[in-house]
Amino acid sequence: MLTQHPTLLIGPSDWEPARMPREEFGRRIDALWERDPEASRAIVFGSSRHHAELAYFSNLIPKLEPAVALLSRTGAHRLFVGGGVNMIGAARPLTWIDEVLPMKDLADALAAGRAARSLLVGADSMTVGFRRTVTEAIGASDAATDATAHVWSQMRRKSRYELDAIDAAVKATGATRKAMREALISAAGVTQAVLAGERAADMAGAQDVRTLFSLDGGRTLRPFFASFKQAVDPLLAYLAVRRFNYWAECFPLFTIRPEPSRLHEKAWDALEAAASAIKPGVATQEIVQLIAAAIAPCQAHPVTARAFAQRMGLGLDEPPYTDVGATFEAGEVYSLRIGIADEPRGSLICSRMFIVAADGIVAFDEEEP
Amino acid sequence: MNFQERLATICARMQDEKLALLVGVHDGAHFIEKPNPVMVLAGFKAIGAAAAVLHRDGTCDLIVTPTWDVERAAELCPHARVVGADDLLESLLALIGKVSAQGTNNDIGIAGLPFLPSGLARPLGAGLPGARAADRIVFEAARIKTAQEIEFAREAARIAELGYKLLLQIAQPGLSEDALALALKSYMKAAGAEDNFLLLCAGPHNRAVQPSTGRKLAQGDIILAEITPSYRGQLTQICRTVVVGDPSEELSRKYALVVQAMNQGIAAARPGVAMAEVCRAINVVLEQQGYGEYCHPPHIRRRGHGLGFASVRPGDVSLDNPTVLEPDMLFMIHPNQYLPETGYLLCGEPVVITEGGAQVLTREQSALGIAGRTQE
Repeated sequence: MLTQHPTLLIGPSDWEPARMPREEFGRRIDALWERDPEASRAIVFGSSRHHAELAYFSNLIPKLEPAVALLSRTGAHRLFVGGGVNMIGAARPLTWIDEVLPMKDLADALAAGRAARSLLVGADSMTVGFRRTVTEAIGASDAATDATAHVWSQMRRKSRYELDAIDAAVKATGATRKAMREALISAAGVTQAVLAGERAADMAGAQDVRTLFSLDGGRTLRPFFASFKQAVDPLLAYLAVRRFNYWAECFPLFTIRPEPSRLHEKAWDALEAAASAIKPGVATQEIVQLIAAAIAPCQAHPVTARAFAQRMGLGLDEPPYTDVGATFEAGEVYSLRIGIADEPRGSLICSRMFIVAADGIVAFDEEEP
Repeated sequence: MNFQERLATICARMQDEKLALLVGVHDGAHFIEKPNPVMVLAGFKAIGAAAAVLHRDGTCDLIVTPTWDVERAAELCPHARVVGADDLLESLLALIGKVSAQGTNNDIGIAGLPFLPSGLARPLGAGLPGARAADRIVFEAARIKTAQEIEFAREAARIAELGYKLLLQIAQPGLSEDALALALKSYMKAAGAEDNFLLLCAGPHNRAVQPSTGRKLAQGDIILAEITPSYRGQLTQICRTVVVGDPSEELSRKYALVVQAMNQGIAAARPGVAMAEVCRAINVVLEQQGYGEYCHPPHIRRRGHGLGFASVRPGDVSLDNPTVLEPDMLFMIHPNQYLPETGYLLCGEPVVITEGGAQVLTREQSALGIAGRTQE
C-alpha cells in the first residue's frame, strides 16, 4: 500500500548471505534467461521508490540515487550506482554483485554490448532523460525487450528464503503492534503510540517502517505530519515493516472497549470466510463476491475498496499493484484485508498475511514461537 | 511573502505567457534534489502521484492519488478544489478537457515533467501535446520562501540541532551507522520532523558523506552527518563532523579552517550578490592554505544548495550559479571539504537572506564534535 515516501531510506540493508544466498540470486537470473533464450543481458533499473525488481536480482535497495544492474548471460554481472564514484563504498555492502561502478559508466557499458539482445526491466520508473540515455546507448529500438511483466510473474512464487524474510517482517509487525498497545494503555497520545511502535520495530531489526493512522475512528488514514498529542479511541493504524528487504503489513485496531463491536465481528467473519475459500486456482472474483456478501449492507472501506488482497514481497505496493490477477497460485504471499465503512457505526480494517499452499492458505504468525 | 501572494505572482506570469492553465505534476517520490510543483501550487505533500492545476484567475484544482487520501488533501488545502483519483493521468486529462477552451493545449503550461518517471511522463506528454514547459515560472516564483516556509525552516533547524545533540550523546564504538541513523531519525520524528534526509557515515578517513551501512563505529572514527529534518514539508539541514574519542591536533586545526571558510561564505551572502561569489569566498580561504586543487571536482561539486521540498531555488552554492541573492532566499552554506590529511569534513549551516545579510538559522554553529570518549 502506498505510504508517504521518505526522501532517504534509513535502516539496515546490508546483504546477508545466510538470509539470501548468492545461489538464490543465480536461480532467479537463470529463470530470467529461460524466459528469453535469445537475450544475452538484462538492464534492471531501480530507485529508492521503485526497486522491487532491482532488489530481486541484486539485493540492492537504492537508499539515495537510482541504480542499474547489468546482468550478463555469459560474463560478469555489474551494478551501476548513482551519486558518483564516492557512493560506491556505501553500495558494496548492500549487494552480492562484486563489480560496482559509478552510473556515469553505464552508457559506455551498454554501448559496448550493442550487438546483444537486451531485456529491459523497470524502464517505466526511469525519468524520461535517463531512459533516453539508456535507449540511445543500446542502439536500435528493437534491441531491447521490456521484460518487466515477466519479472513480476517470476516474483509471484516465493522461495523458502523469501518466506523466511517475510516471516521475520511479520514478527516485527507483532512487536510494533505490542509496543503501540502498551503505549496506549499507558495513556499515550496518537503520536507517542505510533512512535513507540516504530521504535519497537527498529529494535526488532526493521529495515524500514511505515505507519498511517486514523484520527476519525478509522474512516480515513493519514501519514505523520505533525504531533497529535490527544488520545483517540478506537485508533486504527496501518503498519508496514520491512526486514531483509521484504515487507509485512497489518491494520491494528486499538480500543479500550472490552467487547468487540458488531462491525468488528462482521469484518473478522468476512476475513475468515475469505481465508477459508482461498486455494490455488480459485478465481479472485469469487472471493470479491464472497466478501461483498459477507459485509453487506456495509460498503468496503475506501482504503480496501480497490483491492481486498495485496501481494507482499519486495515492494510495499508490489506489482501488479491492486490487480491481484485472475486466480490465486500456490507459493504467492498476500495480505488479505477486509475494510468496512459504515457511517453511523464507524469504519475499520482487519487483515491477515498468508501464503497460498496446495490445499488452502497458511497464515503467518506475528508471535515468536 | 505569503502563499497567496506567490500564487498571484505565478498568475501574473501566466498572463504574460498567455497561459490559461498551469499544471504541476509530482509522482509522490519525495527527494531532496527534486522540486515539487504540487507543493508550490497547492501546498500539499502527497502520498501518491498528484497534480495541481492553477487557473489564471488564481483558483486551483488538486488531484491526489490514492483516492482515499482526498479528505486529508481537502483539509490541508482549503483553497483548492480537491479530487481523489486512482488514475492520475485519466483524471487530469478529463479535468483539462472540461476546462480548457482550446483543443491544441498550447495555452497550457506544465511543470515537473522532467522529474517524473517515464511511465507517467510519456503518456502525460502525449495527452497534452501542445503544452509548454513551465518549470521556470513555478520555481522562479518559489525562489523566495514564504514567511511560513521560513518559520517551518527555523523549526526544522531547531529539530536538527536536537538530533545532533543526541548524536553526541549516544555515538560510541560498536554502534552501527544504521543504528545511530535510526535513533536520530526516530528522535527527530518525535520532535516533529515528518521526514529526514539523514546521511550519516563514519570511518578513519572518509572520501565523502554517504548513506549509512551496517559498519560499526570504531575509536578514532570521524562521523559525518548531514542532518536534514523536514518540518511540515520544509527541509533544513545542518552538516556536522564528530570524532569518536579524542581528536588529533591536526584534525582540530583543519576543521577550524573549514569553519573559517564557511564563515567567509556566510559573510559574503547578502542581497545583490551572486551565488557564485559565496562559493568563491569559501574557496579563497582554502586556496590560501594550499588546497586549491581540492576546491573542484571530484573533491567538491558545490558549497551548498537550496532547501526543498517545494523549490530547490536559489540552487547550488557553486561557481557556475549566477543567481543573485534576494531577501527571504533560504539555502545551505556548507564547505564540506575533502582534505588529504583528514579526509572529508562536514561543516554547514542553513541561512536565510535578510536585508542585512545571511542570517544563520541554527543556535550553535559547527564545531568539531567529540563523542564516545573512553571514561577515565
